[in-house]
Amino acid sequence: MFDQLRAPLLRYALSIGLSSADGEEIIQEAFLSLFQHLRQGRARHNLRGWLFRVVHNLSLKRMSRNKRSGDVFGVAGSLAEFHLDSRPNPEEQASFSQRQARLLAVLRALPAQDQHCLRLRAEGLRYREIAEVLGMSLGSISASLARSLARLGRADGR
Amino acid sequence: MGNAYTHLTDEELLRFADGELSPRQIAGVNTHLTSCWDCRTRLRQLEDTIVDFVRVHHDTLDPQLPPVAGPRALLKARLTESAVSARQESWLPSFQRAFPLRKLAYLGALLLVAALVTAIVSLSSPTTGGRTVRAIPDPRLTPGATRPVNANDVCTVSYSDDARLLPASIQHRVLQEYGVAGAQTQGYELDYLISPQLGGTDDISNLWPEPDSATGWNADAKDALEGRLHQLVCQGKINLATAQRDLATDWISAYKQYFHTDRPIQPL
Repeated sequence: MFDQLRAPLLRYALSIGLSSADGEEIIQEAFLSLFQHLRQGRARHNLRGWLFRVVHNLSLKRMSRNKRSGDVFGVAGSLAEFHLDSRPNPEEQASFSQRQARLLAVLRALPAQDQHCLRLRAEGLRYREIAEVLGMSLGSISASLARSLARLGRADGR
Repeated sequence: MGNAYTHLTDEELLRFADGELSPRQIAGVNTHLTSCWDCRTRLRQLEDTIVDFVRVHHDTLDPQLPPVAGPRALLKARLTESAVSARQESWLPSFQRAFPLRKLAYLGALLLVAALVTAIVSLSSPTTGGRTVRAIPDPRLTPGATRPVNANDVCTVSYSDDARLLPASIQHRVLQEYGVAGAQTQGYELDYLISPQLGGTDDISNLWPEPDSATGWNADAKDALEGRLHQLVCQGKINLATAQRDLATDWISAYKQYFHTDRPIQPL
């Protein structure tokens, strides 16, 4: 289970703005919590959604702790800029096609909740699971995704 | 839901593409799409945008993912640690009733002797070609070698810690140095002394054939230690030089220190 879900969970933590070291630690915490959860005989259905919810909450908590301590993005400053600066840096421009760079700029300008919806959907979560992770209604999820994709599509000249 | 005369909304198209509609709604959308070129084109554009987004999502994040081996081994060790401590907590009160303090002192002395014996046994390993290959490498052949990196470098960039991916020529030279050849190689795993994730290099002075020790002091245990050291370095709790020194001098002692145990923690 760890091998299957570690990459999607870590990608999601990174997309929220954590460094890979902080993200990795949060994934460990999430699996240790899962262990306790199962030991206590609690619900075993949709453990993937459960893990994403824990990682989402822990990541936001870590982000706000890092901000308070002035270390906005932990040790890994590079990823921080990645999320703060809406303009792709020269290195990115070189390695991405112009279309991808445009998409990235629009993506970064989306409200945080819309970005979370998109990222969770990209990791394969169904609307119901996303709604549980983010504490939103099903209708809000599909509205958010449709709105974000329309903006990305316009940026892409579609 | 749209009919033959009203175009489908973006949300309806998306929910259709994502399989989030009821069978009745799907039938309605299909009927509309059959007659509406506009909506079919929009559906196609939506799918293309999704493809582009998923590509950006992976291209920007996947290079940030460190190799899985260290974190997997660390999690195994931490889960076992957690299970053992939970077991001890539930056993301790009845154990204390059954064994008063003096008996515990005798028992402690016995366990200490047993631990020493285990430690000695665990460090003795097979002999190959007149040279003993141990869980801790020969410091003359493998003193460890590092790159000029700092904590920020190792915490932001991912490196492969799998020495088996090194060129065959390097692997062969290391095995030759340790006198391990042919069929004997099956009992060993080529490993870094200081893992690349903590600044180690691919130089042969940083590599040795690690025995698949039945005592548990093997590559799995070392992976767990490397995972924990990496975590501590990235949390700023120890500095990189300390982590490198701990690995290079006696990683088994370091394991005992960082996991608070005398034995390698076996996966549950």
